[in-house]
Amino acid sequence: MKILKELIRIVTDKRVVLLFRLVLGVTFIYASIDKIAHPEQFARIVYNYKILPQFLINIFAITLPWVEFIAGLFLILGIFTESASLLVSFLFIIFIIATSINLIKGVDLNCGCFSTDPAGKKEGATLLIKDLIFLYMGVMVFFFNKSFAALSTLLQKKSLPKR
Amino acid sequence: MLIQLKLSHILLKTLVIILIGSAIGLTYNAISPGGIALKGNWSPKVNSDSLVVPYGYEEDVDPPAISLDYAMMKFQSKNTIFLDSRYPEDFKAGHIKGAINLPYEEFEEHASLVLSKLPEDDEIIAYCDGTECETSLLLARELLELGHKDVKVFFGGWQEWQEAGLSVETDK
Repeated sequence: MKILKELIRIVTDKRVVLLFRLVLGVTFIYASIDKIAHPEQFARIVYNYKILPQFLINIFAITLPWVEFIAGLFLILGIFTESASLLVSFLFIIFIIATSINLIKGVDLNCGCFSTDPAGKKEGATLLIKDLIFLYMGVMVFFFNKSFAALSTLLQKKSLPKR
Repeated sequence: MLIQLKLSHILLKTLVIILIGSAIGLTYNAISPGGIALKGNWSPKVNSDSLVVPYGYEEDVDPPAISLDYAMMKFQSKNTIFLDSRYPEDFKAGHIKGAINLPYEEFEEHASLVLSKLPEDDEIIAYCDGTECETSLLLARELLELGHKDVKVFFGGWQEWQEAGLSVETDK
């Protein structure tokens, strides 16, 4: 019991949550850059997943990387942290579902997670595990974010009236 | 009440992030030279030989696409093997006569066994259901990677073959 309590104390520590926040932010920005640079390849990957209706594929491929980029940036800076972590967690749930569907179907597709290069890493169970770890981090940031080292608190402090 | 208010605040801000991201994405796409059409054409396309091929097919690097006529011509050839990339159930229900089943989904498990029985210099024609499926192409790409030199894809596949009333067989 003691060990469990200690473990909970560690993972909810504001510095650990800050670390999760930064890791998620950097991951999202990193993941978005290649997709932003190669929208056509990313659209093809979205198409390969065969989940979205065809008319939505390009719009999704155009907007998603930038939503990821902004969410990542906000996480790093600590702006709208709860909302950004909620969005990031929601996206990971979508990725997990999409990956699982294709794993069940047995089609070994390029996941398009970090790179749009078709010769890139193939998706698989490792990808699912990675997504689950990121999802965990997102949920932790959502519930235990103390706005530690966040731009929003810095701005709030500045705008407090002087006594 | 307070929790509800806080949650709606969070959701509202989430929407703001989505809107900012989407707006930047759409603007960037409009001004970037590498921008793509808002509504893409993901239906099968027609290649330079007027054959219908899947969207993902790349003429320069992928195995050649063949027509029904070519498939018919090669059907009698001893040195041509038809490889069916569909699921075993579909294959059993009906396939091109003499074809061998190598489901793309089970490629890694069965490839070495199936391929060891095929003479290396033989011409391989991969097919799946029709132009809407891509497993014949994916299978053919794997075979090219394994070093098979003469691999082709019959995109018309089972549907076109069957509609033309050509020789078929079923496994019971």
